[in-house]
Amino acid sequence: MKAIGQMPRPKSGSTFELLSWFYMRVSGLLMALMITFHLLWMHLIVGLDNINFSVVADRWMYPITGTLWRVFDLLLLIFAVTHGMNGIRFSIEDYVHNRSWQLFLKTAVAILLLFLLFIGSYIVFVFEV
Amino acid sequence: MTVISSTKDFVVRTATYKGGVGHASWILHRLGGIGIAVFLILHIIDIFMIVLGKEMFDFFLFIYHQPIFRPAIWGLMFGIFYHAVNGVRIIIHDFFPSTFRYQREMVLGAWVIIGILVVLTVGMDIFNWITYAGSH
Amino acid sequence: MKKRTLKIKRFNPTKDKKPYWQEFVVEAEDTDRILDALNHIKWYVDGSLTMRRSCAHGICGSDAMCINGKNLLACKALFKEVGDDVTIEPLAGLPVIRDLVVDMEPFMEHYRTVLPYFISETPPPSYGERLQSIEERKIFDDTTKCILCAACTTSCPSFWARGEYIGPSAIVQAHRFIFDSRDDGAAARLDILGNADGVWRCRTIYNCTNACPRGIEVTKAVGEVKKEILFSTL
Repeated sequence: MKAIGQMPRPKSGSTFELLSWFYMRVSGLLMALMITFHLLWMHLIVGLDNINFSVVADRWMYPITGTLWRVFDLLLLIFAVTHGMNGIRFSIEDYVHNRSWQLFLKTAVAILLLFLLFIGSYIVFVFEV
Repeated sequence: MTVISSTKDFVVRTATYKGGVGHASWILHRLGGIGIAVFLILHIIDIFMIVLGKEMFDFFLFIYHQPIFRPAIWGLMFGIFYHAVNGVRIIIHDFFPSTFRYQREMVLGAWVIIGILVVLTVGMDIFNWITYAGSH
Repeated sequence: MKKRTLKIKRFNPTKDKKPYWQEFVVEAEDTDRILDALNHIKWYVDGSLTMRRSCAHGICGSDAMCINGKNLLACKALFKEVGDDVTIEPLAGLPVIRDLVVDMEPFMEHYRTVLPYFISETPPPSYGERLQSIEERKIFDDTTKCILCAACTTSCPSFWARGEYIGPSAIVQAHRFIFDSRDDGAAARLDILGNADGVWRCRTIYNCTNACPRGIEVTKAVGEVKKEILFSTL
């Protein structure tokens, strides 16, 4: 055997599951940090009861930090939605064995993914006070 | 190929199999993951409500901040931190397979970190809640 | 000698519509094995009790069953380890043929798909054997111990949920050849294991490692295969 990663491999099979597995790990690791920051920020710095329209609006409207917050929120949105919907896909494949139901639910999840990405990024990009 | 004949079989088997800490961790990870995904959908939609303007958005948040939802939010804190920290543990096992010998220690370590994060956020919520309620 | 209750899941497809529980009381020592009690029931109490066993010494892998909620070999599990009262079920995730006997065919089908035999494109040396260093052999030493008892695969929630999943046992068997320096079939095996129902259904739960009666670090082997496929693709 050669060193790890050096073996020859025919490229016939789909690499989708491999990439999905790897993506779950990468996005999960990044989100573990981002969401911990997001939650600690909202609960420790802002305070849950203080969250209102102006808190959310203000932090997006400042000249430079506003852009940074928007980038952070957009990345968190993309990671969370793709990671979450892919996880739901795993669960559907595991527990729904009827082929038509499986197809229906997986299609619904794909549509939901696009919908959530659309309305989420719409807010991040377009929001003005 | 039918393997487990019914959903009931599967649930019973999953709940009763004595597989050790990894098995219990996986059950929590999956249930928590599904729960968080459902919350994520609600959360993106409620943030979208900001397009309706200040009054409507604050009205939604007012509903959100009602005391009956507090336990749900604290459960969510636990769910998210559990999924995050346990997920990192699984990533470590996946990329460094020989760490499985320290599985028990790592699960224990994960619970300590989860405990700290939950106490921090939930504790601060309760503190703010009391002071907020006192100031109004 | 101590009285012990064995609660066994019975099912006879010609008579029963559904599996049912039956209790037997047997006398057994602390150091007796669960298999001894099952043999006693079969030979002296109820001859219709059906289970597989051959060598009775933990090598043939015939008598894996779910004992007190955990997959074990009945011939290796002692009463002092599992407790006085014992609940015995057939392995989960495989169709039950009768009582404790399950249909191993789906399991063997997965085993066969990973090409579990020596594949070599290089001709053998004209004199002597295909040599291998101690270090080269050590890499896959652990996975050579597998006896195909199915305890690991039938302890895996991913396999319970989805029988198409190839299962830890087949991955262990593939690992044994993939990491063998004399073997040339790694590429084909990695391709098979990289499919949708291959290694990626593993959720790193460790039930397989806990269940293995041979002490194989199953999840570690699965992890090594995952890493191999990942790094040879990226």
